Amino acid sequence: MENLALLWGIIGPGVSGAVFGAGWWFWVDAVVCSAVQVSFLHYLPGIFASLAALMFNAVNKDEIGYDYYSPYGDDSEWRVKLWLFVAYVVSFVCLAGSVGLLVQDALTDKGPSVWTGVAGVLQCVLVLISGLIYWTCHSED
Amino acid sequence: MTLSRSMRTCLHSGRLALLAILVSSGIVLQILACALYNNWWPMLTVIMYLLLPMPLMFFLGSNSPSMMSNEGDGWVNFTKFLTGASVVGSIAIPSILKHAGVIGWGALTMELSSFVVFGIAILWLIQMNGEDEYSSVF
Repeated sequence: MENLALLWGIIGPGVSGAVFGAGWWFWVDAVVCSAVQVSFLHYLPGIFASLAALMFNAVNKDEIGYDYYSPYGDDSEWRVKLWLFVAYVVSFVCLAGSVGLLVQDALTDKGPSVWTGVAGVLQCVLVLISGLIYWTCHSED
Repeated sequence: MTLSRSMRTCLHSGRLALLAILVSSGIVLQILACALYNNWWPMLTVIMYLLLPMPLMFFLGSNSPSMMSNEGDGWVNFTKFLTGASVVGSIAIPSILKHAGVIGWGALTMELSSFVVFGIAILWLIQMNGEDEYSSVF
């Protein structure tokens, strides 16, 4: 098991980058191959998902510990937790939004095709997973 | 079997020459994929190939704990992230071009084989560098 953890620390960020790239490239494929112009509303879940992934990776993991003494005073733990909470809320809203857009695209014929909706959901999921993978990597040390 | 010193340097420069041949054949395949079909769209992949060896260029020459260790330095992790993204990107760009109908099957296979050749060359380079320090790769 120890070897696995070491290996993960080495290739983890690369895997995270690969998943992140895969998510965005699926979206690029959907936009390029779409017969109709994809409105900006459809871009939003992906953009906010990337933002959320960035947000919850910006947290220094030590700050959530019990005996962390911050220069801002003894009760600054709530700032970190608020930051994380906002990041989680944004990521779940993106997921829900992309699934909603998929359902809407599947129901009407005039808007973007089903592949656009599917690619949107894939993009959201993969970007968030990539953020999680990156987070597990830099907590290995 | 221990080789004599001159044999070892000969073998080493032979390996370097083979590595150079690999890289140049990768470049040739990439350019052929565009030139044979008179369609210069696949050259977009070159952007990804520029991003791909960045961590190697930054960290392989320096003496700091390199990519092969578990060191959690922020910049090393970020360059690994970029490498992962550009690996996927160099597979994704030809596939998207094929999906959109901009290039054909022949150009797609040439692009992908150029990627495989570059990948082998980079992995071999890493392994050779690891051997130089008389330590294991991981």
